[in-house]
Amino acid sequence: MLLEVNNLAVSFGGVRALDLKHFSLEDKELRVIIGPNGAGKSTFMDILCGKTKPNTGEIRFNGKPTNGLTEVEIAKLGIGRKFQKPSVFPSLTVFDNMSIAAKMKKGVFTSLFFKASPAFTDKIHAMAKRVGLSNVLHQLAGSLSHGQKQWLEIAIVVLQDPRLLLIDEPAAGMSDKETEKTGELLLELSKQHGVIVIEHDMHFVKQIANKLVSVLVNGKLLMEGAFEEVRNDQRVIDCYLGRANAQLEILSV
Amino acid sequence: MQIKSPQLVNLLFILFFAAALPVGNMLGIVSINTISLWGRYFCFAIAALGIDLIWGFTGIMSMCQAFFFCLGGYCIGMHLLLTATAIQGQKLPDFMVWNNITSLPTFWEPFHGFVPTLLLCVVIPALIALIIGFFIFRSRIKGVYMAIITQALALGMYLLFLRNETKLGGTNGLTNFKTVLGYDLNASSVKLGLYLVSLAMLCLAYAGCRKIVESKFGKILQAIRDSESRVGYTSYRVLNYKLTVFVVAALLGGLAGMLYVPQTGIITPGRMSVTASVEMLMWVALGGRGKLKGAIIGTLLVNCLYSVCTSLFPEGWLFILGLLYVLTVLYFQKGFLGLFETMGNKIGTTLKRKPAGLNPTS
Amino acid sequence: MRNRKKIGLCLILCCAVFFSAHAATDSTRVYIGQVLHPQQEEMRSHAIQRLVALKQASSFPFLEAINNSALYVLGEKAITTGNRKSEEESFPVYELYPIHRILLNAEGKPLLLNASGLKQVEISRADRLQLIPVANWLNIFNADDQKRAMAYGQLQITADTSLLNILSGALKTETNPNVLRAGKEAYYTMLLNNTTDIKKARSLMDLLSANDGDNAIGVLTAYAKQKELPQPLRLYAQQKASSLDSHYVFLQRMQNLFSGLSLGSILILISLGLAIVYGLAGIINMAHGEFLMIGAYATYSVELLFNNVLHIQNTDWFYLAALPVSFIVAGAAGLLLERLVIRRLYTKPLESLLATWGVSLILIQLARTLFGDLTAVKLPGILSGGWQVSPHLVLPYSRLFVIVLTIVAVSVIYWVLFRTRLGMQIRAVTQNRNMSACLGIDTRRVDAITFFIGSGLAGLAGCAMTLIGNVVPDMGQTYIVDSFLVVVTGGVGKLVGTIVAGLGIGVFSKVLEAFFEAVYGKVLILLGIMIFMQFKSKGLFPDKGRSAED
Repeated sequence: MLLEVNNLAVSFGGVRALDLKHFSLEDKELRVIIGPNGAGKSTFMDILCGKTKPNTGEIRFNGKPTNGLTEVEIAKLGIGRKFQKPSVFPSLTVFDNMSIAAKMKKGVFTSLFFKASPAFTDKIHAMAKRVGLSNVLHQLAGSLSHGQKQWLEIAIVVLQDPRLLLIDEPAAGMSDKETEKTGELLLELSKQHGVIVIEHDMHFVKQIANKLVSVLVNGKLLMEGAFEEVRNDQRVIDCYLGRANAQLEILSV
Repeated sequence: MQIKSPQLVNLLFILFFAAALPVGNMLGIVSINTISLWGRYFCFAIAALGIDLIWGFTGIMSMCQAFFFCLGGYCIGMHLLLTATAIQGQKLPDFMVWNNITSLPTFWEPFHGFVPTLLLCVVIPALIALIIGFFIFRSRIKGVYMAIITQALALGMYLLFLRNETKLGGTNGLTNFKTVLGYDLNASSVKLGLYLVSLAMLCLAYAGCRKIVESKFGKILQAIRDSESRVGYTSYRVLNYKLTVFVVAALLGGLAGMLYVPQTGIITPGRMSVTASVEMLMWVALGGRGKLKGAIIGTLLVNCLYSVCTSLFPEGWLFILGLLYVLTVLYFQKGFLGLFETMGNKIGTTLKRKPAGLNPTS
Repeated sequence: MRNRKKIGLCLILCCAVFFSAHAATDSTRVYIGQVLHPQQEEMRSHAIQRLVALKQASSFPFLEAINNSALYVLGEKAITTGNRKSEEESFPVYELYPIHRILLNAEGKPLLLNASGLKQVEISRADRLQLIPVANWLNIFNADDQKRAMAYGQLQITADTSLLNILSGALKTETNPNVLRAGKEAYYTMLLNNTTDIKKARSLMDLLSANDGDNAIGVLTAYAKQKELPQPLRLYAQQKASSLDSHYVFLQRMQNLFSGLSLGSILILISLGLAIVYGLAGIINMAHGEFLMIGAYATYSVELLFNNVLHIQNTDWFYLAALPVSFIVAGAAGLLLERLVIRRLYTKPLESLLATWGVSLILIQLARTLFGDLTAVKLPGILSGGWQVSPHLVLPYSRLFVIVLTIVAVSVIYWVLFRTRLGMQIRAVTQNRNMSACLGIDTRRVDAITFFIGSGLAGLAGCAMTLIGNVVPDMGQTYIVDSFLVVVTGGVGKLVGTIVAGLGIGVFSKVLEAFFEAVYGKVLILLGIMIFMQFKSKGLFPDKGRSAED
């Protein structure tokens, strides 16, 4: 198992945001998490990457507990996070964004005396090609479109070469074509990395959910199963129905 | 060999100050006081470079740079005062005698030697910055909190230095210096020498900072300014980076203070008041933060303006300064340098428009 | 007649003295008559000399009048003048002999006489010099409270016990509580130092410590140090002294606590506006301290207006008028600042910090140009003095007023914020500006009103500050860093936090200042806050929940 979570709980000011009995992920597995707004999906990722500290519970990554570790230590263990709102460095060029992220020693002195080797540059060019940013490599990241920023952030996370990728709503704000391309990228990534994706767009989920889909509701795991199984589950439909009709329509693709 | 225009500007700057002013002095056009004044401005510019590193590039508003400046100043001041006392054949500096201190406080002892003093001038500010910075950054104090905490720190230290119990001369500070390394501080040649040393140090500091901001380290500083959390999730220890740049800034502040005090002949706690630190931030903001040249240009311009205004209309200076603060923040976010650049770009585009018209692209 | 009884009751006079005193009373009357209407100058000198030698209590007010060159005759009576109230032309007058009392008119009110209506008895300097042996004693009949209290203090040191009857006589007519306390202390001290009776000594010590005089500890300690004192008495005196001492330490702590409360109140008044404005607009207003200064100068201007334009002098009404004026003027200045500068800097705290710093420089220089370097507002009469909880714990009315003002202001702000529609709008904009705008809240209007209130509060603080200190152009600077620390410690934008932190920092500063010097107290507070921030970097009351960073 790459990731094992037991009895994880966190509350914000008396509201129980997450109460997860058990969750596990195999290596090189792609898992999609769906659920209505406020179900605790992003909170779950926040806890996994160390942004939020859980009240109770145990997380084992690659067999090692991550409780009490800082974001940096968790990132070093090999968990990379892509946020819902693109989080890149707008005043640096796309190239610099990527070269900062790329896997290497990250101490102060290494950075001070770092010189990019041809191999290093090639690696970045290759990644840029993969996410389709080759032609904007020397533009400032702040000048990119929303979709391009999403890809840049994915590139940043992938360049860290993590064992586990946490990806929060990658398709938000993308056109259908871009979304499809992102799906292909994620599927390709899951050949080398464990991937957890949070997503609302059911077309997209259908495209990428190659194994299991987990449904979170009110901080609890409602069910886990293959995409078709989840889609036809009455409880899942009820949950979404209670929230918004629009989502029901999406669900009945 | 082709010289690019930024290099040309640098060269002209150095030539003007390193050759034209001293030659002007020898010809009797430029008074030695003017030379010395510029020497002091260069010191301010060094401190401003430190602020630009931490604020302009890293986005951390540190409001205690003047404190580090004064630490360097007090260190060299202690040395100068000790040598002056020795020349007059006294055992203790005058202010100690007045305060009934019978023997030299232990912490003054290391400042007898010139070389140890120079070292301490930069080591002490750096060390104190290391300690303060560690606790501030460790607890993730940032943004407004950081600004206010460092401001309060500057205030606290200022109040502490005002006391006679700190054995650093209280309100009057340290003054009545005579010589440095046996040379008379009041001699024109020594003043000119100190001016040239300051200029050289400014150039060195600029080159050093240039190296820093162009390295990957510098990129990470800017990345911290843009999105600190993303830097953390990219497995950089942000604390170490912030701490390093805070210490480097303090070090530059200390260096600047060290060069400043022999030229003014006095250091008082007034130099480290909250106002002084904010003023230093303003030099950088006015010049254009996030650009090393901006820090230097801003410092020199504001201080020139200060000299001119205080002699022409002393009452009005604070009005002008206050107005400058407001206008810069409201209308010239990028400072003078940004203004020059936009103007340069406009001129550039109007010049380029013609050839573009002749060779239309498909 | 009363004098006789008084003397008769005196504790340590024996019968022989009683009879001689009886005889002396008659001769006193004679000598006084001779001083007032001498047949020749020598007779007057002799009469004064005799009066001094007789040391009759009843003659002392008369002698004091001579000493003060304020002896007059009204009909057959020897009289002297009391303290003239500053703005009146006439004096109250006192009869000197045989009874020392204030003279009343037909309606039973103090009789007031003009200086011109009084006939002075001229006494030569040489004659007055004859009074030197009893000069210390004479002052206890002076019309001035402070002089009487000082005279009693001096008597305490002298070992001359022959005049205890005079002392006890003077004490019976004493009306000022502070002077009475000093007098009693002197009286008990003299008795204590001259008694050998253990029981009596003990009861005198009890009286001394219950009297709560300024010097009680000193007297008791000195008493305990006497060589031939019996051991039980020594122990008793030491015990009394130490219990008094710890009592005073306690009172001193109360006094510090009170000063802390009043400092905390000022900080709260300033920081509250700062916190509201930061919460709403995300700007750091460095010029906020200058609104305090504006409030103070508004108060000063109102005083000038009353004195010089309306010509209403010596009134407390100006201060009452200044309270709303300072609020409105500072609020209007805040509104102007918001319109001209701050509106463009919303949610840019660091930029706003620099710009408003510039504004504060301009405002300070403007105040200096308009009003000069130092002015002061006259303390309203009703707020001068203090509430004397005990002789060693006086709570100045001005500071009490500041505390009350803060409580009222905080209550009103709370009411506005949590009970009115406007408050709901302010809270809504604070939490989510865009959403509020979408819901039809006029955010500009809300901003303007909030700025008005926030700056007005600082102005009110400035008005309160005039009660405590001078009015100087850079008075806001003194408090601005402290009030920022309050906001930071309390959690930026949190009102409860601001109140708790304001009180905490105010009280801690004053308590620490009592143990260390003011500066070190301040540095310690700063260290304390830094350490506090290590554990709670978002202040006392941080926001909870999954809030997006950066």
